[in-house]
Amino acid sequence: MALVSLTDVTKTYPDPNDRKRQIAAIDGVSLDIQAGDVYGIIGYSGAGKSTLVRLINALESASSGSILVDGAEVTTMREGELRKLRLGIGMIFQQFNLFNAKTVRANIAYPLKVAGVPKAERNRRVEELLAFVGLSEKAKSFPDQLSGGQKQRVGIARALATSPRILLADEATSALDPETTHEVLGLLKKVNQELGITIIVITHEMDVIQQIATKVAVMENGKVIENGEVYEVFSNPQHAATRRFVSTVVRGIPVGEELQTLRYRHPGRIFTVSILDGDTSQARVFEILTQAGLGFELIYGGINDIQGRTFGHLTLAVTGDDAAIESALAQISALTEIVEAR
Amino acid sequence: MDDINNIIANIPKLITASGETLYIVGFALLLGGFLGLVLGLILYVTRPGNLLQNRPVFTILNVIVNIFRPIPFLIFLVALQPLTRIVVGTGNGNTAMVFTMSMAAMFGISRVVEQNLLTVSPGVIEAARSVGASRLRVIFTVILGEALGPLILGYTFVLVVIVDMSALAGTIAGGGLGTFALENGYRQFKPELTYAALVIVIILVQLIQFLGNWLARKALRR
Repeated sequence: MALVSLTDVTKTYPDPNDRKRQIAAIDGVSLDIQAGDVYGIIGYSGAGKSTLVRLINALESASSGSILVDGAEVTTMREGELRKLRLGIGMIFQQFNLFNAKTVRANIAYPLKVAGVPKAERNRRVEELLAFVGLSEKAKSFPDQLSGGQKQRVGIARALATSPRILLADEATSALDPETTHEVLGLLKKVNQELGITIIVITHEMDVIQQIATKVAVMENGKVIENGEVYEVFSNPQHAATRRFVSTVVRGIPVGEELQTLRYRHPGRIFTVSILDGDTSQARVFEILTQAGLGFELIYGGINDIQGRTFGHLTLAVTGDDAAIESALAQISALTEIVEAR
Repeated sequence: MDDINNIIANIPKLITASGETLYIVGFALLLGGFLGLVLGLILYVTRPGNLLQNRPVFTILNVIVNIFRPIPFLIFLVALQPLTRIVVGTGNGNTAMVFTMSMAAMFGISRVVEQNLLTVSPGVIEAARSVGASRLRVIFTVILGEALGPLILGYTFVLVVIVDMSALAGTIAGGGLGTFALENGYRQFKPELTYAALVIVIILVQLIQFLGNWLARKALRR
């Protein structure tokens, strides 16, 4: 059974301009998140992803639908039960949200105090967490003395203090530079793999999904428009929004102005070959073209590695006799998808 | 020389007056400061969108504070007389003054407290809620702590205003440096005594300001 299971969840707010009308921030979302997943939720700002993740630890209450966390229905919980639920769900934030008036140590100890953990046990746990995130020397520092990456590591340690089964990461790397992002994502991966914690990652950056997620849901206008294994969604995007996200990390099929420029600069007919994991031999594609006596050059595209699997698109400008091109095309079509740019 | 001798002759009176000022200011700060903190906290938490949002409570308190806070203190002091007589037993004297000032300070301080608490980032509050802290726990263990530095500065500001108010104690037969300056200096044409009282007030205010800044720096670690 799924660790987190949303069924037909909606969340509506009164329209600030017209209080009688309701605006749906979340519009009929159903999603299953299995234990051990790193589940990415990607969308542009305003897509509803931050609201969605706050429904899971009930910082926001759903308007309708069912939210099961570890089999327990969240939407009908009372305040006391919610507090217990939240001890089992850690959360980290884009702006870190550390307690600035408390030391690093006190920040990490705070959830343990809330949980009523005795002092000796608390201290032991804080030391353990500091070592895990690599900040043992910073225990007595205050948040404003730390760099962004260090702050987020404190945030992670604080979120993990009560040994939750689930970690919610709300744009956790969006305020960080690329190098620090990489470092924090590495730490999250470690949290998932070494501690077995299920992570739900909210982001608008496909990089983040590519680096750590195993599954992904794409959100638009409060709806999940596409979801599944990251590789499947990447290699075969069904919606325009998904294709736009994929194109930020892997160049796809050239269109519009890009295509015009390519046509202008390269003679011949332009084809895009899909390179999918395992079943496509690039060498074979090139061999067929060569054997048909055709000239070709690689003019656009990219290949990327997602979850250890290859995927991408290569765009070729092919010159030669039309009949030879058609016959080569037929042979390649038997191997993989090939489309001519129009 | 006469001036200096006159001041020296009045030292016992000056000491008594200083003691009275400290008494009035000190207790007004304690009582008004506490009541203002409570009122400010209630305004903050009941504000729409905040932890214990309650529109009726917020609106009523907000209107009350808006009505009473801007009343000039001298008018407030005499207008509050009926209530002062009920609570303190008399409308005159230093203790009556403490009560009236506490009431006036409460309204002023409540706004200072409310505004400083509003500067605490909602994200930090959300983080505390996300680890399972109850609303009351968040208020007392996170919000007040995060706002401590600005709150100290706010109280320092208010304390100087309280010293200012205390000079009017003579109006209701109270003592203190204001009364001393008025009765012994101004009315008896002895400006040197007025200036002696003035110097003591300046020193007092500077000490308050210094102490407040020092505490706030400690709280803010800057």
